[in-house]
Amino acid sequence: MFVINRDFAPPFKLIAPYFIIGVIFYIVSSLFALSFNMSVIGYTDPFVIAWVHLFLLGFVIMIIFGAMAQLVPVVLESGHFAVNLYYVIWPLLLGGTLMMAYGFTISPSFLPFGGMTVLAAMFTFLLDTFLTIKKIQKKLTFTMLSIIIANLFLLLGILFGITLAFGFAGKISIDLLELLKGHVYLVVVGYVMITIFGLSMTLIPMFALSHHFSWRPIKTALLSISLGVLSVAAASLLHLTVLAYIGYLLSAVSLLFYLYQIYILYKTRARKENDIYAKSLYISHASLLSSLPLGLYYLYNGSEAIVLATGWLIFTGFFGFMIIGHLYKIVPFLIWFERFSPLVGKEKVPMLAEMVPQKSANIQIFFGTIGVFGGTCGILFGNNMLFKFAVASLSVGSLFLLRNLIYIMRFK
Amino acid sequence: MLKEETIYQSIATVIDPEVGFNLVEMGLIYNVEIKESNDVVVTMTLSTQACPLHQLIVQWVKEACEKVEGVKECEINLVWEPAWNITMADDNVKKALGA
Repeated sequence: MFVINRDFAPPFKLIAPYFIIGVIFYIVSSLFALSFNMSVIGYTDPFVIAWVHLFLLGFVIMIIFGAMAQLVPVVLESGHFAVNLYYVIWPLLLGGTLMMAYGFTISPSFLPFGGMTVLAAMFTFLLDTFLTIKKIQKKLTFTMLSIIIANLFLLLGILFGITLAFGFAGKISIDLLELLKGHVYLVVVGYVMITIFGLSMTLIPMFALSHHFSWRPIKTALLSISLGVLSVAAASLLHLTVLAYIGYLLSAVSLLFYLYQIYILYKTRARKENDIYAKSLYISHASLLSSLPLGLYYLYNGSEAIVLATGWLIFTGFFGFMIIGHLYKIVPFLIWFERFSPLVGKEKVPMLAEMVPQKSANIQIFFGTIGVFGGTCGILFGNNMLFKFAVASLSVGSLFLLRNLIYIMRFK
Repeated sequence: MLKEETIYQSIATVIDPEVGFNLVEMGLIYNVEIKESNDVVVTMTLSTQACPLHQLIVQWVKEACEKVEGVKECEINLVWEPAWNITMADDNVKKALGA
């Protein structure tokens, strides 16, 4: 007899702040990028670093953490160790991100406080995740393993980050640039990328109804990226450039295997309709694919414009559209689950796709896509006008995203 | 006298809100067994093991089955083998999904 258990589903009021604040940060970071000047921009520019933190912590990590409140029990097939911890994670992450952005742009003395607050948010998240993982009785699946590895890298990334925060504030003397590389790599590649690897293999086949596909490419990708991240982290501590290059190449190889796996998932999918989710994922993966030759070319010629354009493609394109696509699936589901699932069998309930405003979502994708690819060209050619036009387009798209999210949340 | 067809018809009222098709036309209901005691065993699967509606869908099938007049109790036997694939779905589902 199958035992009915609904304990795994957290209430929407717990997850909602993550999604709302995350999307607000998406808008804020889009508008903030309007301040960039292509003629003087560089990756050590405090405004660029502030933007990276607003986008990565405020949008990417905020939404990943919120999604994890719902996805961890689904993926790990076990209830959270202490789901109520999620009520304190978002205020800490919000406060820490704002302090760090303020610290980078206006007053560096805020950096250690911002860094410590973000650290507290991430430790709280890791505490629940690791204690939830400890409860798993079943054999580890690929996604479970990915989540464990990603969270271990996040832990290391936080430790690097907090050391950096003290360095930036002048409290300790360290090689900031070297440590920055390790920190960025551990968080962006080690945590965000590997989390995406793991969740892609659960969520994409689930929504696209892909079956009977090989797992070999993604397993190779996970191994390669893990070694790559370790290599770059070690290089930043040991000041070994060759180790860093090995890490970058391993990561590039890994991303190729990941994209090949995605191609297999698309090829074996039963659901061929190009809905909002599918369109978002196409743009996300196209951005990642475009970033690879750029990233590899950067290793060859070391141009700052190329590394910035690569970062723009990966952040606003790959991460941005990956998250947005999943928001169009996860948020309607959560609202449906809370508002309509008790009515099943009693009255007519909407389908999940009906809860997404199709036209408005398509407009958001249109403006967002111009923002991603136009912004990349603006950075590459050092064209201020083009970059600002693209960022304005991205900002319009971000406002549509907020509008769509509100529409879904108010759906009756 | 209870008929399997009646049970299938009742389960066909359960719709997967993600894909918009009922579970019977999706081919997710593998078997319906009516025992002499009028207890029913439904053998079914889901399109993915990671489905977050896992518990709810099973509950809806159980309720739909027990709604049928004469059914004493419905037991759900959730299986993952054979794994579901699109060839198990009705033609109208395949056509609508573009498979």
